[in-house]
Amino acid sequence: MRDGRFLAVGDPDDLVATYGGTLDRTLADKVLLPGFVEAHCHKDTGGLWQYTYVGYEARTDPDGRSWPGCTTFDAVVERLREADRLLADPNEPLLAWGLDPIFWSGDRLDRRQLDAVSTTRRIFVAHSNMHLATVNSALMEAEGITPDTVAEGVPKDVSGWPLGELQEFPAMALAGAAFRSFFGRQRSDEAIHLFGKSARNVGVTTLTDLGTSNLLEEAIVSQWAGIVNHGFPTRVVMFHGAMQNGTVSDETCAAALVELRKQSTDHLRLGYLKLLLDGSIQGGTARLRWPGFHHGGPNGIWLIPPDQFADRLAPYHRAGLQVHTHANGDEAVDVLLDAVAEVQAAHPMPDHRHTVQHCQLTTPGQYRRIRALGMCANIFSNHAWFWGDQHISITVGPDRAARMNAARTALDLGVPLSIHSDSPVTPLDSLHVAWAAVNRLTPSGVVVGPDERITVAEALHAVTMGAAWQLRMEDEVGSISPRKFADLAILEADPFELDPVELRDIPVWGTMCGGVLHPAAGVGD
Amino acid sequence: MSTEPDRLPLTVIGGYLGAGKTTLLNGILAEPDGQRIAVLVNDFGDVDIDGRLLASVDGDVLTLANGCICCSMVDGFAETLETVRGFADRIDRVVVEVSGVGEPRKVARWAHLPGFTPDGVVVLVDPLSVRDRATDRYVGETVVNQVAGADLVVMSRSDVADKADLAGTEAWLSVMTDATVLQSPLPTAVLLGPGLRNLTAEDAPAPTSPPHDHVSISRHLDGPVTRKSIDAWIRARPGGVVRAKGLLKVDDRPDDRTVLQVCGSTTTVTVDGPWDGGAEAVVAIALPGTPRAALVKWLNLLG
Ligand SMILES: Nc1nc2c(ncn2[C@@H]2O[C@H](COP(=O)(O)OP(=O)(O)O)[C@@H](O)[C@H]2O)c(=O)[nH]1
Ligand SMILES: [Zn+2]
Repeated sequence: MRDGRFLAVGDPDDLVATYGGTLDRTLADKVLLPGFVEAHCHKDTGGLWQYTYVGYEARTDPDGRSWPGCTTFDAVVERLREADRLLADPNEPLLAWGLDPIFWSGDRLDRRQLDAVSTTRRIFVAHSNMHLATVNSALMEAEGITPDTVAEGVPKDVSGWPLGELQEFPAMALAGAAFRSFFGRQRSDEAIHLFGKSARNVGVTTLTDLGTSNLLEEAIVSQWAGIVNHGFPTRVVMFHGAMQNGTVSDETCAAALVELRKQSTDHLRLGYLKLLLDGSIQGGTARLRWPGFHHGGPNGIWLIPPDQFADRLAPYHRAGLQVHTHANGDEAVDVLLDAVAEVQAAHPMPDHRHTVQHCQLTTPGQYRRIRALGMCANIFSNHAWFWGDQHISITVGPDRAARMNAARTALDLGVPLSIHSDSPVTPLDSLHVAWAAVNRLTPSGVVVGPDERITVAEALHAVTMGAAWQLRMEDEVGSISPRKFADLAILEADPFELDPVELRDIPVWGTMCGGVLHPAAGVGD
Repeated sequence: MSTEPDRLPLTVIGGYLGAGKTTLLNGILAEPDGQRIAVLVNDFGDVDIDGRLLASVDGDVLTLANGCICCSMVDGFAETLETVRGFADRIDRVVVEVSGVGEPRKVARWAHLPGFTPDGVVVLVDPLSVRDRATDRYVGETVVNQVAGADLVVMSRSDVADKADLAGTEAWLSVMTDATVLQSPLPTAVLLGPGLRNLTAEDAPAPTSPPHDHVSISRHLDGPVTRKSIDAWIRARPGGVVRAKGLLKVDDRPDDRTVLQVCGSTTTVTVDGPWDGGAEAVVAIALPGTPRAALVKWLNLLG
């Protein structure tokens, strides 16, 4: 290694003989893989840890502290009481996240349980899907949430008092300052640092932020540059979300991104674009082809009108920018593929690598077209574990669930493949993402769609070289190769020697990024 | 005697691409009918603001010479509404334009934030194409949901559509929605609701733009109204009434401000806070040709 890159790769004695230098045995008992590349996650991954975690599953925070799951109301209350005691300022709202009432068979947390934590401090608990929150009476009183509140999404008890649950953003916003603080603090410097720490703990050396920041704002770019270019533990690839154009046209936005790309450094990559077509499958908002949702609910929503999509895409395509598009449902993928075909016919662009993000219900026929159009697929493999049972019984039914997130099909048809966590939607953890694609296990123990499993080698390729290709960084990261950045995921066990079902359990020692070691939290203490 | 409204009425305007939302908003900004209106749009490309009419530009906020402002929703709803609330002393109401694939009824939920009060969901349709759109494989449900969630549906292009198109679309709409169906052009007070300041003027009829012969009437009230008379008033609404608004005290909530509101097919009665000492009054606007006597009789039901 020299200057943060691999100078040469081979037999240690030969290398020392040829290039000089010394043999560093620090990691001699570790297993070194190329640093993982997470090609679809969000910066909120770190920021949420500024608040108290009350989720059902045990989680480890970026600083290495493990938080047991809160599996009962009492556990939630106890966790919040502890957090309440630690907050010095009585006027500071207590913010928490991760609540998942889906596991509590019908019982829902309401203001009464939260009042047991504090009758004076405002408490705001966001649910794991981020579309709901539960608040206490002190908050309701401070913000004027009363029986007279007629807003939709504010359920009430028999006496007409709001229960404290706020459903969907317009209702959550009634929580006023606590709501603004919850989302506002996601933009703090601390949130960025926590993001980097989370990555280091799981072997990720290249992170992405898939369009949650408005990169046309100079202040946001300089905040990230100020942090990421100075000893940050990972590289970060930032996407502009073009839903947030606001005052500028797509042409202007494309030109601005081409300019912004010039500010890229080894650590911070700019000039990437994200568009959104539909919603999510678990939220019932994805756009599905016939026969729609298994639960019979209405088809989902469009975030960009289908007949405008090609026009939205074209300016970026013409500017030579790669466009990543969120498309969960198969109907959304149809619209995306038609649009890419249209812009390609008008302005052929070799090697554009426009990427379908999520592609959860993408069919074999669509993968053939993805290949033919020169596109890439980034599949949301973690769904098998996090919602697999619900997909079988509720959202799309057993048949389509078995064909969801069809990594095997994509690979067999020659589609450039990556797999992702969409963290914080599911936890940032590339070994878990790979494990889910390899095993397709659900929590109830079902293997959902065994034919779509891929091998350990294929899955590890997808979270390294596959992802690097989709970020146009294939010559810089994704493998241990001469002249690439010296980025490593440093593991305590060899994934190729274990039972594939143990892949996610491999302890991570930490990472090396640009030749600098970053031990995971707790390692070496 | 005048009351500054402490909550800005918020009207949501929706409708599929090309339905005529931008045209309508530009019309409102050109003829705001004496109201200072804040228009919230996804991007400024939508509104055609003549440079000469611009008084100032400040980031995402354009201020026009006539006192109206135009804001982009670049930061999302919660933050944009927070910004707009900061202008409450220099605007009278807010209009939000929803994207062509958005659901205006869902967007209207934001109008319950402190500082705002909902003032109707208006959905535009193009009488020449809406029935085809409603069966489109991609956007059919979206168009159907937009129309179903409206309080007031406005058919644009009534100048170019022939009678058969208009009648056919109107018949189709009557199956698809409970909303009141009208044709453009319409005065701002019908589209967005009467200005609250009109309520506090002496018993003079609230003004509407001259080319429109909509019937407008207002009335002061004195002392609490009974809950029973409000129920009777709701049931007795005469045909032709499109908009009404009342601020009053009710006998069972004498210390609070009760708000009556009619927008198209929808009537709501809400309490928006303690009584602030202003006038108790009610105003109604009805379609051209509605007998004034029927309206007087109706408002008199409020005791
Ligand atoms: N003749 C006529 N044309 C209209 C009317 N309303 C809208 N248009 C035209 O229809 C097209 C689409 O209207 P626009 O307001 O941009 O629709 P939006 O997509 O809903 O904002 C434009 O060319 C308008 O000039 C109308 O009432 N009459
Ligand atoms: Zn995402």
